[in-house]
Amino acid sequence: MSMTFKTIEAGYTFPPVVQSYAQAAIDHYALASLDMNPVHTNEEWASRAKVFGIPETVGHGMMTMSTLASVVTRAWGVIGKDRGSLRFVDAKFTKPVKVGEVVTATGKVKRKHYHGPGKSWVQIAVEAKDSAGDLIGLAEVGYNLPD
Amino acid sequence: MPVPSRLDEYIETEKQRHFSRDFVVGWEEYETWDEATVGQSGAGQRTFKISEEDILDYNRACGETDPLMVDPAYARKHSPTGELLQHPVFVTTIAFYSLGETGIGTWIRTPGARNPQQRIEIVEPFCYGEIVTTTATTTDKFTQRGKPYLQMLLEFRNERGVLKARWWCSLILPQTRADVARFANA
Repeated sequence: MSMTFKTIEAGYTFPPVVQSYAQAAIDHYALASLDMNPVHTNEEWASRAKVFGIPETVGHGMMTMSTLASVVTRAWGVIGKDRGSLRFVDAKFTKPVKVGEVVTATGKVKRKHYHGPGKSWVQIAVEAKDSAGDLIGLAEVGYNLPD
Repeated sequence: MPVPSRLDEYIETEKQRHFSRDFVVGWEEYETWDEATVGQSGAGQRTFKISEEDILDYNRACGETDPLMVDPAYARKHSPTGELLQHPVFVTTIAFYSLGETGIGTWIRTPGARNPQQRIEIVEPFCYGEIVTTTATTTDKFTQRGKPYLQMLLEFRNERGVLKARWWCSLILPQTRADVARFANA
């Protein structure tokens, strides 16, 4: 479907993204991102250090940020068919994601920013919740759309 | 404290093979919250040559299935850049590789660090073969509700000096080297 600044409306809702935070998924993310902090990958260390007050490994904040951004990019593309493109992701993390969680992220167009022909973008509010329904992170995503 | 051997099965790229994966080894050289100076700036320890395998593995680890992101042959024919499209948070890989184990910004490796918030801006996509230099500038450090925050701006430029992306990176850190030691030796 063609997505343009003119046709998009505030309130547009994105399909949810569901992401496993099983240890295998966290391990893969650790290698791919090169963020090998033991709080993510070393269960023995995590049980002793209790960085977040819990004796378990947790997912990376950057993995949560990736899940949040994917809500927009899976729907519209990193670079869209109409040459739209993601311009920024601004994320906050509100609760550690325990190993074994399944996270569901959702998003909605919050505001349209008109800056003249070829320069307009939309602001998208994205949030992610764990399997208990607790908020684990939220983000503002900026996305350039063709006129 | 060795990195669990099960992680070896996820090694897919040349950089992963040679990267110092045990963040508890060499922690004595990491920059710490109490030693960081706001305004200080410098290049990371090493440059990052963009390769298809780096992008492919990051995209896969994020659970992407779009062939434009995970099928190199498809991307060569159909991608607007003729290359795999990179996930917007891919700069994480560039930063951890580039900042390395000594010098400015190495506090991102700190055992015991917690991640409160991050902002990433994409200026233009990275291209295969580009040699990316990461420049770190310490932008703020403060204590809020008893938690020590440290922030830096990372700028990613190619070999021609073209700005490709920015990352405003924030962490809550153990405050002193002694505090880091408590986590490193846990």
